[in-house]
Amino acid sequence: MNAVSTDNIIEASGLTKNFAGFAAVSDVDLNVRRHSIHALIGPNGAGKTTTFNLITKFLAPSSGRILYNGTDITSESPARVARRGIVRSFQISAIFPRMTVGENVRIALQRPLGTSFRFWQSERSLRVLSERVDELLTAVGLTDQRDQTAAGLPYGRKRALEFATTLALEPELMLLDEPTSGLGNEDVDRIAELIRKVSANRTILMVEHNLSVVSRLADMITVLARGRILAEGDYSEISNNQQVIEAYIGGEDD
Amino acid sequence: MFELIGIPPMLLFGQLMIGLINGVFYAMMSLGVAIIFGMLRIGNFVHGAQYMLGAFGAWYLLHLPDLFPGLGLPALGYWWALVIVPVAVGLVGAATERLFIRRVYDLEHAYGLLLTVGLAMVIEGLFNVRYGAAGQQYNVPETLKGVVNLGFMFLPIYRLWVIVAGIVVCVVTWFVIERTKLGSYLRAATENPDLVRAFGINVPRMLMLTYAFGVGLAGLAGVMAAPIYQVSPQMGQSIIITIFAVVVIGGMGSIFGAIFSGLMLGLIEGLTKVFYPQGSTTVIFVIMAIVLVFRPAGLFGKETSAFHAADMSNARSDSFLENGRLWLPVLAVIGAALPFLVYPVFAMKMLCFALFASAYNLVFGYVGLLAFGHAAFFGASAYVAAQSAAVWGFPPELAILAGVAMATVIGALFGWLAIRRQGLYFAMITLALAQIVYFYAIQASWTHGEDGIQQVPRGYLFGMIDLDQPLNMYYFVLAIFLAGFALIYRIIHSPFGQVLKSVRENEPRAISLGYSTDRFKLIAFTLSAMLAGLAGGTKAIVFQIASLTDLHFMTSAEALLMSLIGGVGTLLGPIVGAVVVVTMQKEFASLGSWVVVVQGAAFVLCVLFLRKGVVGTLEEYLSNRQARRAALAVADRPETPRAGAAS
Amino acid sequence: MTSSAWLTVRDLEGWYGESQALHGMNFEVRRGEVVTLLGRNGAGKTTTLRAIMGLLRKKTGEIRFADENLAGRLPEYIARRGIAYCPEERGIFASLSVEENLMLPLVVAEGGMALPDILELFPNLGERRASQGTKLSGGEQQMLAIARILRTGARLLLLDEPTEGLAPVIVQQIGSVVRQLKERGFTVLLVEQNFRFASKLADRHYVVENGKVIDTLDANDVAANAERIQKYLKV
Repeated sequence: MNAVSTDNIIEASGLTKNFAGFAAVSDVDLNVRRHSIHALIGPNGAGKTTTFNLITKFLAPSSGRILYNGTDITSESPARVARRGIVRSFQISAIFPRMTVGENVRIALQRPLGTSFRFWQSERSLRVLSERVDELLTAVGLTDQRDQTAAGLPYGRKRALEFATTLALEPELMLLDEPTSGLGNEDVDRIAELIRKVSANRTILMVEHNLSVVSRLADMITVLARGRILAEGDYSEISNNQQVIEAYIGGEDD
Repeated sequence: MFELIGIPPMLLFGQLMIGLINGVFYAMMSLGVAIIFGMLRIGNFVHGAQYMLGAFGAWYLLHLPDLFPGLGLPALGYWWALVIVPVAVGLVGAATERLFIRRVYDLEHAYGLLLTVGLAMVIEGLFNVRYGAAGQQYNVPETLKGVVNLGFMFLPIYRLWVIVAGIVVCVVTWFVIERTKLGSYLRAATENPDLVRAFGINVPRMLMLTYAFGVGLAGLAGVMAAPIYQVSPQMGQSIIITIFAVVVIGGMGSIFGAIFSGLMLGLIEGLTKVFYPQGSTTVIFVIMAIVLVFRPAGLFGKETSAFHAADMSNARSDSFLENGRLWLPVLAVIGAALPFLVYPVFAMKMLCFALFASAYNLVFGYVGLLAFGHAAFFGASAYVAAQSAAVWGFPPELAILAGVAMATVIGALFGWLAIRRQGLYFAMITLALAQIVYFYAIQASWTHGEDGIQQVPRGYLFGMIDLDQPLNMYYFVLAIFLAGFALIYRIIHSPFGQVLKSVRENEPRAISLGYSTDRFKLIAFTLSAMLAGLAGGTKAIVFQIASLTDLHFMTSAEALLMSLIGGVGTLLGPIVGAVVVVTMQKEFASLGSWVVVVQGAAFVLCVLFLRKGVVGTLEEYLSNRQARRAALAVADRPETPRAGAAS
Repeated sequence: MTSSAWLTVRDLEGWYGESQALHGMNFEVRRGEVVTLLGRNGAGKTTTLRAIMGLLRKKTGEIRFADENLAGRLPEYIARRGIAYCPEERGIFASLSVEENLMLPLVVAEGGMALPDILELFPNLGERRASQGTKLSGGEQQMLAIARILRTGARLLLLDEPTEGLAPVIVQQIGSVVRQLKERGFTVLLVEQNFRFASKLADRHYVVENGKVIDTLDANDVAANAERIQKYLKV
């Protein structure tokens, strides 16, 4: 085990990702403190989603190293890091549209049972999970919709369902990719409240455009621009940082 | 004369020359397929039929006076054909794009392939009806008769011409695409069609012209092939699967890859004929398998990492139509009564194919993998079961088990090779792999080539029950069918089945939940192969024969057709589809070769008008009715706040 | 006021699948103007341009250009009416050389810039004509993306964040290019986050938030309202 700084759940160093000749992310060092809500912000094309994909292994870094709880996960598969407890959401709501709302959550709960390869066993064996399914659906306010197919939910509710599914894995680290994008104000508030609620015993790293959400939730903010880290700090530090202001609204000498 | 490593040089050069000529045709054809795939994202299975049209076109032009007597039409020879036919075939292609292919652009890729398979069956079937298997003779044009002496061998001038002209056509096409303004439109539209449209270019028309051009190339190849090969309805069918393999090897969508691989593989095939003749028919498919292991994107292809299962399922899991606990006894009762209603042999054929189609539907419908080589599992099992029963004296139950074991092993192997690719690639790869088994069976001695293994004894089940008694045999088959059906239902509704469903619906999300989805897909594919083997082995015992038909790609296509007609991804769909198709085959049997035409038309019509299939359409009707009733119920009681409660 | 508008967008709503991105955009552009849509990430600016160009299918409302409603039209039709588009991701084709990229868009009307004039404006591109399009640096790619729509004769240019991710020197160059385009009589609808860049170019700014225009500022009012704008855009 690595002895240093166990306070950080993620320690990424020198992360670089090149796409066909340009560096989407270059030499990013990102530390995420345990049990914090950490937001990644920055103008379009800053490399936020790429960073995200690198940490969840949906992309392989061109160079750099990622430690999760002190373990090197740089060369692991996305499914493997998910099993380690790093679970991500997607920009476009990631649900299983033709499964029921309850089944959506259950599929996430099912893996720890260790029966997922048992094609000879009845799915009734999964009923032991019902109680937990109901708890999770209650947490996001979807109890009444449990037996509906997920496709029929309004968009905001789909995001809530996705959230419940992610939560079902009891992730130690949740990565949320623009959890409030495309939502109306009411839904934004609901999701923001949920994020706060579930952050109690876990770490959350999120990409978010809605700065009022970021200011309300984030303990730590990393600002990316042009694939590099521009600034890091809490909201008041960031919002007064001259470089950040320039990145967002342009420099003085343009 | 001297010899080269024990091979007479005449033989070596002769085969190399034949290989090169084949290679030229491969290159011209795969070039067209690659262009069409790159632009339209359509796996143009009808390309072989279009090539055949080219050859027949040339033949027609030569026989105009005989075909239309009294009109005083001249017989137009080779050079006329070289100009007229590609244009005519291209126009047919443009019309095909307009009428059919355009309708499936926005659908799952699978439909494009199914549609072109159907069109190929219709076109080739029609020519087969008219001309049968016999080839028409097309003479080498006068100007190109004769041979040149190359010193080490004599080369017919016509062949030299084909090599030179074919390569020139390929190079010019490559040049147009890679180096001209027109080609830049094509390349740009392949990358980002929306942006190209935003630059004012009419991309839909470009798609039509691209298709017409690719098809025209096939027509041209057909004209050039007419004096070398027999002009026969089957000529396209035998080349198209090879072409698909060439395109996979070259890298899907790579123009240079298609030309280069076409020529090289022709040569390699020629060399194989010299050094290992038995391997010459399969060498291209074997090379494809090897290339896939080391370079999944092909030699010149770019790696694409699109997660995309073809979700074509039409079922609602809570519907009574999907309730196997209800349907198993119903099917048992119907099955028990069936031999008193129809001939037992006919009933057994239905059961075997219903099981086969259900097995196929497990990967196609429930996992979303467009497999196109299930004949390999069905047929391999049939051969092994037949051999065990006829030669080794196995009792029927063990013979079938031996077949199942073989199908399972082949399934696991093919699955391992193919599972990393999806959509069209998966279809082309499984198709090509299945061809290896097919050609093996043509050549191996124990399979007896065209004859197959005949007079397989039905024997005594468990040493006691005489299966030569039709009803004994029938109920044995029914038991197998019901067991297979029950197993499939169980797989779908197991913890494993839940994961499969999630993979089909949203694979990246399933991965993010921690599932290594490839392993689930591989297991499902292997199970499907096993069940297809169960159907094939049983079929061999019932009909007392294992033949090349069982391994032919048309058998794979039939499984697909049955699933499609009945309803992809539904529990009962494949069974309904099997009943429809088997009945249709029986009813049209008197029409002989029309059967293929009818089946092809069924494909096309299903893709265009009945994509949900019989059961899927019924499901839709029922769920709409239910929704309407729920809405009415809510309207009647205005105090009820939500419609959701009414279900 | 509307009488002189050349492009009028009215009550435009748009969706990506089920996710609504535009909630009733209203604005107008007059001939010869440079107009910006300002706003943070995800506000709906890019979606608005895509909707005008016909690339966003699912939409309602009106997009009136030169007295014709373009809302139901296909992209190739809209391009031929004289609107040209430079997308945010630049859209340089990897399989095309610089020159091919430059020559790709269809000439839709008389009066487009001649190639030598374009190369004078973007000297780097001339030197690198034969290179593969995506081998250019980010700044050069942006130049190419703008350059290629000047040939076409289109008089309304939609530029989506041309300064995004570029170094200050390049941003200055692009600023001077836009200024020259205005002098040449082009009309520009510019999407920007970089307000300082936009403020020196535009005749009018529309501030976009949550898929609609929430504020409008004329160039003359900018100095007086700097605080207000900062509030809209800054972190």
